[in-house]
Amino acid sequence: MNINQKSWIQRNRSILVLVAVPIFLAAWLAFRPEKLFVNQKVSEAAPFMAGGQPQPIYTGTLEGKAHPTSGRATIYQYSEGKSFLRLSDFTTSNGPDVHVVLLKAEEKALGGIAIAGELDKVELGSLKGNQGDQNYDLPAATDLNKYQTVAIYCERFHVIFGSSQLEKF
Amino acid sequence: MARGWNTVLALTGLAVFIAIPSAALAQDTMQSDSMQKDSSMKDGMKQDSMKHDDMKHDDMAPDKNAKALFTGTFHKQVHGTTGRATVYQTEDGKKILRLTHFKTSNGPDVHVILIAAKDSKDNSLSGNLERIELGKLKGNEGDQNYELPENIDWAKFQAVSIYCERFDANFGVAPLVKF
Repeated sequence: MNINQKSWIQRNRSILVLVAVPIFLAAWLAFRPEKLFVNQKVSEAAPFMAGGQPQPIYTGTLEGKAHPTSGRATIYQYSEGKSFLRLSDFTTSNGPDVHVVLLKAEEKALGGIAIAGELDKVELGSLKGNQGDQNYDLPAATDLNKYQTVAIYCERFHVIFGSSQLEKF
Repeated sequence: MARGWNTVLALTGLAVFIAIPSAALAQDTMQSDSMQKDSSMKDGMKQDSMKHDDMKHDDMAPDKNAKALFTGTFHKQVHGTTGRATVYQTEDGKKILRLTHFKTSNGPDVHVILIAAKDSKDNSLSGNLERIELGKLKGNEGDQNYELPENIDWAKFQAVSIYCERFDANFGVAPLVKF
């Protein structure tokens, strides 16, 4: 009996292979499992000229904290290395002694509303207007790998009006 | 004896099958190497790994200005997907979707599409969700451009999806916000 069964498989082995191989191939074609290990890297040039004009390197949208705040914060860099922050479509509430600062993403003050003590910040200047597009020069030594959060900060009451976590452009 | 031949046959079939895609891959790479001359432009990535679609590249020779209209970062759904999607408008009015710092998982039949939603947290896209096809994903890593059809209703199509057609799998989504 046992021997008979074995011989059946052996006799039909070529048929089994003929059936199994196409099934296997079809499954492989559908799932392409080798792609899990094969990366396809591309690097197309930007569809425009990068020279001359300052290029955006970080950007993010502003969210309200203590006061409704909206708009976009973008850091632009000139080819010679100078960079500036630009607020666009920007609106926040007006207030006394409001500043634009850069904070570290892990800054605790971003969680709460009022802040005790000094902030670990990069000062960019007094807020020029509570509405509209505006630019702020970044100090040359700004470490953008660390300070990647823009905050609208009321110095007098230690309140963050709104902030934006920047991400690479 | 017959068993031996069958095994040989099966292995040969398998070998040919595996060899075909990798040969195609090698060919692609070679092609891009020979086209590197006209690319000249920037980008930190290694020149060797440069790969681009010649037609697109010629059309969009980097000699004009463009402004960013919308941008957003990818969040993952079915597969880890990171990077940025930005819609640019060139001086002559053409619109281009550009992916930067981009990385997703490789896969079969993966496409770049615009979806008629603000965002999507779904792992598959329901059939009645309107979409605009932008083309096959050129690479699962790296900067890449896709031409956009004219007259897109940007109030409606507000997100980019990396989408596997074959398995209705939404790899990742980038909601677009005004730049």
